[in-house]
Formats: sequence, structure tokens, C-alpha cells
Amino acid sequence: MFLKHIDLTTALRPSYLPDEDLLYVQDNVGLYEGKYKLPNQQNGQIYLTSHRICYVDKAEPRKYSVALDLKDVERYEFYGGFLKSSPKVTLIPKATKRAPLQPRSPGLAGPASRSSTSSPATQVEGGLRALPVESPPTSNATWVCTICSFSNPVPSNFDPTTANAHTPLPPCLACGIKPTLTHVLKATISNVASRQPGTPALHTPLPVRPRLATEFSATRGSSSPFIQAQGASPQSSDLDASFQCPRCTFLNHPSLLSCEMCGGPLISQDLPAELTQQTRPHTESPGPILNSFGTVPSGVENSDSVKISFRGGGDKIFYERLKGSMTQRKWLLQGAPPIPKASRTRDSLGNSSNPSATTDAARDRPKLGGIAGLEHHSQAMRKNNELVIGSAFEDLEALMASAKEIVALAETFARQVKGASGASSASENALLADSVSQLGLITTKDIVGSSSSASGSDSLYLSELARTLAEFLTDDRRGVLKRAGGIISLVDLWAMFNRARGGVELVSPADFEKAANLWEKLGLPVRLRTFKSGVKVVQSRDRTDETTVKALLAWLRDLHEFPPEREVPWDWRRFGRGVTARDAAERFGWSIGVAEEELEMAEERGVLCREEGIEGLKFWENFIDTGEGKGYKDPKIVEAERLVKVLKEAGFV
Amino acid sequence: MTTPSTHSQSSFPFPPEYSFPPFFTRQTNLTTHHAQLVKWSSLVLAYCRHHRIFKLSLSGSSGTSTTTNQGGTSTTGSGGTPNQPGGGELDTTELFYNQRIDRRLSLADIREVIDFLRNDGRAEYVTGDGNSGSSSSAAIGGAGGAEGGGGDIVWIYWRTPEEWASLVEGWVDSTGQKGSVLTLYELVEGDGTRGTEFHGLDQQLLLKALNVLVKRGKAQVFGQEDSQGVKFF
Repeated sequence: MFLKHIDLTTALRPSYLPDEDLLYVQDNVGLYEGKYKLPNQQNGQIYLTSHRICYVDKAEPRKYSVALDLKDVERYEFYGGFLKSSPKVTLIPKATKRAPLQPRSPGLAGPASRSSTSSPATQVEGGLRALPVESPPTSNATWVCTICSFSNPVPSNFDPTTANAHTPLPPCLACGIKPTLTHVLKATISNVASRQPGTPALHTPLPVRPRLATEFSATRGSSSPFIQAQGASPQSSDLDASFQCPRCTFLNHPSLLSCEMCGGPLISQDLPAELTQQTRPHTESPGPILNSFGTVPSGVENSDSVKISFRGGGDKIFYERLKGSMTQRKWLLQGAPPIPKASRTRDSLGNSSNPSATTDAARDRPKLGGIAGLEHHSQAMRKNNELVIGSAFEDLEALMASAKEIVALAETFARQVKGASGASSASENALLADSVSQLGLITTKDIVGSSSSASGSDSLYLSELARTLAEFLTDDRRGVLKRAGGIISLVDLWAMFNRARGGVELVSPADFEKAANLWEKLGLPVRLRTFKSGVKVVQSRDRTDETTVKALLAWLRDLHEFPPEREVPWDWRRFGRGVTARDAAERFGWSIGVAEEELEMAEERGVLCREEGIEGLKFWENFIDTGEGKGYKDPKIVEAERLVKVLKEAGFV
Repeated sequence: MTTPSTHSQSSFPFPPEYSFPPFFTRQTNLTTHHAQLVKWSSLVLAYCRHHRIFKLSLSGSSGTSTTTNQGGTSTTGSGGTPNQPGGGELDTTELFYNQRIDRRLSLADIREVIDFLRNDGRAEYVTGDGNSGSSSSAAIGGAGGAEGGGGDIVWIYWRTPEEWASLVEGWVDSTGQKGSVLTLYELVEGDGTRGTEFHGLDQQLLLKALNVLVKRGKAQVFGQEDSQGVKFF
């Protein structure tokens, strides 16, 4: 099967692989396999990561959540939706080792060809669709050489988030001068920045250019029947129109591939699908091809293509990001050696090694030993830090690009400073710093798609935040809740959480509280509790008031058995002794405030009673209201009842 | 004015909660607080019944005479103490002050207990009692407390005047003294009533009880201040 069952975290989210990055989340989606709806996967959230697409069902998350690996995806298509039909993204699996799969086989292409040949428009479609597969997936960012003004493409493996001074950059194609890192970074960032706001403007047909099908006749066969079914309407009018270059605005002839003026690529490889979908008048008609396709006997394999139906919007952004992750192919990097950090360090220091490059370290370390080696090591480290900091602060954009590195560096510095001053909280800081890296998958507002409905735009962000929080709390490695005695005040948690985020993507208190209020609704294993005084605390779901009261009572009962430390005038075997909030805090590992609230909660329930004395407020087991006092009765009534009882015993009544 | 001469010398057996420290702190939980009031009022009633106390001086009982002075109330309390019935010879401090565990009920909390008893018809402020037939004579005994405390002296009705009235009526019936005239002194101090419950009853309280009978038309009270008599029908 294309779809695989997945494991979920405690917060009912897919558990990610190492290195996996969350790119996008969208709720209210349904899944189709082939043309049929999957009955159990009709309302859930879709998580797009760098490696997978995960569907988490809303009703039965543990049972029906599935995922598919992007590496198995051959192609992906976009369908813009029409009338009641929601926008959909179709994912077609690779035909690996499965002979009869997919339209390459002539037998299947046969029925498909009927519609594909019937109208020229579909042929155009086919060509267009095939393009992303065929052409190498590069980002179309360019940098303009400062020497000769030639616009060079940014290398496809250039990632602005990981690039640093050691990233090798190709020289200008025209003059051969190497660009500076910041120059390329700027170009990439501005390209990304200009692309993102451009997404809503997809409806403007400017960057789209219809292509002649004949150019791609060779690839036509590989297009899926779906596309051809979708491409039912003619679009020939566009053929005559001149096409404006997105970069220099020169109007080119439609048949040109690159701009006559500036040489920039003309086909906007990113956007053909949704654009053509937008303009198409009718789609997804259950045409004969679909039908025959669905009823092919060997359809088990054929129906493997999966459609994601976006009922709550977010389809375009999903498609954009899916395209991005398909281009990056991060799954290929898994297990690959780290990008070698080049070597200004080594140039300047002669034989010194870059400590993070294992190969260098392995080569150089044996040469030096003992204190000299250590010194050498730290010297190299300092040099490297200096380089990183130096290059980062050269330019604001460059700083943005290397923000991650700088943050990590700042954390280490902070830890060293703390360690030097001998602060006892060093371990705590280390833990927080470590948790920054563990919090790699943070939910940010731009990851989460905004629903089409205006009111629901924030709710998805909040629910994702709620889930992130729940994971943060229940993570055993961190043990946030456990160390706080199973209960932590919301303010403390907020501070801890934001600190763990390392100063980026902080959560506002309002959002935080809203997210915390969602726990109950989302069925997460933590819950928010409001004490009588208005203090809000967080605890795990299985810890209710009853269990707390039970624990308190058991503790107080124990005090009947063990004699108090000093002589007490009352009968401690009968009454035990009073406990202060501090005692309770010590005993259960709570904070004092929480202990106070818990004791008062127990008092509110009539389990404890209070004693205000010179030693402060103490709480005792409640021997005042022992039950017989409930409903104080008039002595006459008591007398009458006694009489009735006696009469009953005597057998008169 | 007389003080009860027949009160038992044996010490009062306090209930277990009397030695429970939180018992002396006002509880905030409503249910617990109610239970606390119930226990305190039954303790007060039992204590007064045990020692045959009819009037209780609040400031006197809250511990002014023994250890720490409690400000303004102490002066009037100590001044009136010798004359007070119930408070005169018997130290009622122990009622609200447990010396052993060093816990005491504050005056405000005592008043709350008294108010609780009043709502039950089991207590009454001496000064607030305007319809008493012998308020003038009451002034003699309760003068000290009545002026200063504004309700410092409280009747504790471990038997209500109605109950006392029926006791007296029952005794008159059983001894065949209907129609005869008795002085009040005879009723509470005379040899004829020795052994009855109301022997040694406070005169003012007796008058309250007799007034109940008067209202029912079962008796008539006449005479002067110190030599009042009653005739039963």
C-alpha cells in the first residue's frame, strides 16, 4: 500500500523521524484513494513534513492515521475545486517494481488516449503537467553578478538556512568571479520573499504560459489519466497571446522558453497546475476514463494514487510547500555525511582542524595529545566561532540566514558563563538549551495554514500549539511535569516553554492560554485547572482532584502512626497533626502556591479543616465535620426518632 | 441573687474535638463551619447543663480572668464577675479556652456560636430582653456586663423557658398545689422543690418560665420586687 499506518505522539501528532521538518499543517481534509473516498479518513489534519505527508484522523486518530513517504511519490497534481468539489492534491506513487502500474502501460493508456487526443487543450495540459517531473527541480532564484551583471542561477543545493562561510559557491557563469555569500543569500531570500506574497495572486495569469503539446509529445504518455480527465476544457485562446517575462516584463513570443531580453526562464514551473485549474470551468466530472480506471480488475495497484481533499482551504499553500519539499528531497540526505565545512579555518591556522568535521578531526587529533591537544582544540573552536559570528553580523539578511547557528552559539556561551560563575542552575540551563534542539519541530504561525473561514484561521494554530505543549509536557526525556510534582502553574510553564524555544518564535500569553484551554477539547493527556483563586495550573489528565485528595489523606493518616518531632499536647494518635502548605510542597514536590491551592481545594471539599495559629495556617484532617453533624436536628426530633426506633425494636410498629 | 449551689463539682467531660486544635479556628468551608457551630453549641449547652449555668458572660468566658487580657472588655468583665450568676464562682474560661493545647476561641467566634444558639432558641442576650417581667431585678445581677458589653451576658437555654414552665407545671400538678400561692423563693430554694430540676433555678429565668404559664392562663404572678408570689390555676 501507498499509505502506511503511523505512530502518533501523546499529543496525537505524527511522531517525526530525525531530521524531519514540519512544513505545513491543515485541518479539515479528507483522503481519496483512486477516485473513491476512504471512509475512515474523511475528517482530519494533514501534516506536510520534509519527508512525509501524514494524515491524522480527528475522530479515531490512533486507528486511522496514515502517512505516505514523499520519496514514493512520482508526481503530484493540483485540482482547484469546482462548485461543491473541494480543491484536491493528487499524489501518484512511483511505479517501483510494480509492472502493471500506471498509465505507462499501453493497455491503460488506451482508454486514456481517447480524451487526450480529442481536444488539443488536454495535450497542452499533458505537456504542462509533465514538466515538473521532467525538468530538474531547481529553485528559479538568480543572483546578478556584481562584476558583469549576468544573472546566474542559484545552485540547487544552496540552502539559505544552512549556508555559511564555508559553503562552496560556483563562480559567475559569464565572468568567472566568485560571488560573496551574502550576495547570494540576499538573492535567495528576496526570491523567497517575493514568491510567498505572490501565492495569493495566482489567479492573475501573467506568469503562466501555455506550451505547445508537440514539444512534449514524448512525455505525454506518462501523464496520468486523472490529469487528462481534469483537463477537459480548451485553453487555446492563450496560444496567441504574448507572454510577459516575470523578471524584465518583456513581452516574449509564447513559444519561447527563456526571455529574449534577460534570458530568464519563462515557464513558471511552480504554478502551472493550480493556475490552469483555476481557469478551468468544469472539472472532476466522473468521466469514462475514471470509471474504467476505477473498475480495472487489477485496480488494487492502480488505485494507489491518493487524493487529499482540502475542504477547509489551505490547498494552495500545501501545494506550494509540497513542491518545495519534493524539490529539496531531504530524504536523500538521511545518512549522508554532513556538508563539509570549508576551510578558511584551515587556511589561516595551518594544520588546525575544524572540530566539527569528523574527518579532519580524525586526521589531526592523533598528532596532538594531552593539554596541548585540548588547547589546540579549544583554539580551533574559538576560531570557528569567530568566523561564524563575523560572517553573521556582516549583514542583516545574512544574520537571519544563520540565526540558528548564532542562537546555538549564544546558548553555549550562556552555559559557559553560568558554569564559570558556579551557579547551581547550570544543569537546568543546560537542560533548557538542550531542549531547544529537541524542540526542533515547533509550530509557528506560518507553518500552519489559515483556514478559508475567517473565524477558524487562528484555531488551527492554537490547536497545533496545544499539541506542541502537550508533547512538551509529557516528553519523558524532559519530564517537565514530573519534576514539578505533576502539577505546574500556567505562568511557569509559559516561561519554561518560551525559554526552551530559545528566544525565537515566542508564544504570546494570550495564545498560550487559549491553546491551554483547547487541551480538554482535543483530548490531550494534560489538562488545565483553575483554582478557586483564579490560579491556573497544568497537570496530567489522570491526576484529578480525587487522586490528590486521596494522596493528601493518606499522608495525613500516616501522621497518626508516626509520632511528631516534638511533644504535642493533643492526642496525635487520634488527630495526627496539622500540615502547612510548605510541608505539603516538600512532601509532594509542588510549588508552595500549588500546595496552598491543593490544600484549600481539599478543604473546600470538606476533607481538611484549617487552624490559624501563631505558627501560621495549618491544615488538619477534618474531625469537625465527621458526618454526624450534618443537618443539625432539633432535640425533639431526635427524641421522636429515638422513640420510633425503640418502638420498632419492640415490635409495635 | 443566688448562685447555683447544686452544680456538680465533678469536672465536665469535654468531647474529643475540644482537644482538636482546628476546632478553635473559624472554618471557611461552609459545611465544615456549620458542623463546627453545631459542635460548639452542643458543647456550650452540655457544659452549662453540667454546671447548671443559666447565664454566661462572654467576655468572662473568653479568658479575660485567667491569662491574657483582651482589651476593653476585660474591665467590665472583671468588675461584674463577682455578681454574675454562673460566672461568679465557676470559672467558665475553660469552656472557650483549652489550656492544655493552648487554643482559644476568639470573642467574635464565640458570638457567632451564641448567634447560632439564638437562632435555635437556645440562647438570648440579657440586655436585649425587653419583655422580661423583672428586667429591673435583672439589672442588679447583670449590671456590670449588661452595660459594658452590649450583650455580654447571655442566657443559655439548655432548657427553654417553655420547658422550665412545663416542668414547674408538672411539679405543681403532681404535688397537688393547684390554686395555692407560692413565693418565687419557695419555688427555687424551698425544701419542697429539693430534688426537682428547677431547684436552684435562676430567679429571672424562673420568672420567664412563669410568664409563659401566665400567658397560657395557668398562673398569675403578683407582688413586689423581692417578694413576688405566684398562684397556679
